[in-house]
Amino acid sequence: MTAGVRHNVSFETNNIVLIALVAILYSLFKMATVLRSQCAFARLFAGKTVQILNNSTDLGAKLGPGSQSVLSRKYSNYAHSPFVTKIKEQYDYEIVKKPAEWAFVERLLPFETIPAVSPKESYPSGWIPPKEEAANLPYFIARTKNHEVPIYLEITYRGMRKITKIRKIEGDIWLLNDEIKSYLKEKNNRYVETRVHEIGRFIETKGDYVHDLMQWAYSKGF
Amino acid sequence: MGSRQITEKSLSMLRSLPRISLQNIRDNPNSKLKNKRGRAQHGGDKHGAGNKGSGQRQNFMRLGYETGNNPFYLRIPQEHYYRGHHLRREYPPLTLHELQRIIDKDCVDTSKPIDIASLIKSGFYNFQPDLKQFGINLTDEGADIFAAKINIEVQWASEQVIAAVERNGGVITTAYYDPHSLLLLKNPKKFFESGQAIPRRMIPPSDLIEYYTSAKSRGYLADPEEISKERLKLAQKYGYTLPDIEKDSDYKMMSERKDPRQIFYGLEPGWVVNLKDECILKPKDQELLSFFNS
Repeated sequence: MTAGVRHNVSFETNNIVLIALVAILYSLFKMATVLRSQCAFARLFAGKTVQILNNSTDLGAKLGPGSQSVLSRKYSNYAHSPFVTKIKEQYDYEIVKKPAEWAFVERLLPFETIPAVSPKESYPSGWIPPKEEAANLPYFIARTKNHEVPIYLEITYRGMRKITKIRKIEGDIWLLNDEIKSYLKEKNNRYVETRVHEIGRFIETKGDYVHDLMQWAYSKGF
Repeated sequence: MGSRQITEKSLSMLRSLPRISLQNIRDNPNSKLKNKRGRAQHGGDKHGAGNKGSGQRQNFMRLGYETGNNPFYLRIPQEHYYRGHHLRREYPPLTLHELQRIIDKDCVDTSKPIDIASLIKSGFYNFQPDLKQFGINLTDEGADIFAAKINIEVQWASEQVIAAVERNGGVITTAYYDPHSLLLLKNPKKFFESGQAIPRRMIPPSDLIEYYTSAKSRGYLADPEEISKERLKLAQKYGYTLPDIEKDSDYKMMSERKDPRQIFYGLEPGWVVNLKDECILKPKDQELLSFFNS
């Protein structure tokens, strides 16, 4: 009877020991997983930088022995987080000040101002540079910043109303208006309505006369 | 309190009070009437929902349902030529006439190779790489008046365009850029300021390999021997004498090409450009070199 009891007791103790062992092992395993997860990123990238896909941002973290990961890691307390001490330049670079290739970089940088046009023998595209003789006229049409004559077609009411606008007029705008009117009448054999805006320094003509007016402006040297 | 002091008192109170601002003003009381749902015998009838049917029950019909009519969205036949439009590559056009005008106005330097970066820099061409636009389609409008001798790199070109460029002693190449590389070419300054290393250019997708390896389309992956043969063939087809570029004074510029992995002229992948200190950082690390040269 006693033996039976003892046996029983020993079995119970055995059981307890087993359970304790399992618990310790489990906690150890859990600790291990926690430790791993804390430096998951570091493990992922250690010695595997070649596998980073092209065109993705390079983390630049080459984790050698002794170097400390600069990747974000959450500590339970700010005071408990260690000081970052060992950060070294991960990759070896050769720094060249103003190398020969700098000309290629300068070529890519945007213009600070729109470049001035150098005089050429011919302009195959039909673009004509402004002439100096145009300054002697009582009126003047200035070029835009892109070296174009400011004559535009304004289409409104679903294409029902077409108005040609001449902008940037300087000097005697009324004289310019009269000349345009007679020129267009002669060329198209019909009266062309115009509207002068003295303060806005533009003239609007009723109808699409962009081509005619462009030719006229080029002929005057604007 | 005497009635005489009321003005002074209220004025002194006003002086001590905070200034009127948007934070402490409100509407006058009862100035805003809220539309209230009426109750009882005559106020509480229908509340705008009407009498009978779906109006009253507010069980709205499904979208596009026209109470038994053949609905509008089914009345028109399907248009299959739009299928897959969101996956197609787009090449916004630039005509030869426009290119000539840009050259005439000195907005692009013809003494150096022209690529998409220099045409964007001119300000007369623009495109959106994020809208599946893959670069320049140089079109043949103005091919007859085109008279510039250039070394140009575009993304798409027809036979007439190639003939028009080569007739004047120029060189044309068609080259593929992946959208990320195009973004860098669109605004190189912004990319340099970001402090990232210049990436590699990707190879073209499988359906474009044929175009960019064929000498007929002057692909950047084509055999140079084949290209010189095709140049001669095209000259005979269109009836012009092919200028000898080997004897040209600026043969060096004319023969300048980018590496298939290179995005910018003269700058290798892996380099970091520092605009502020005007220096270039070149990697020496073997790991990086092998990555960027692969």
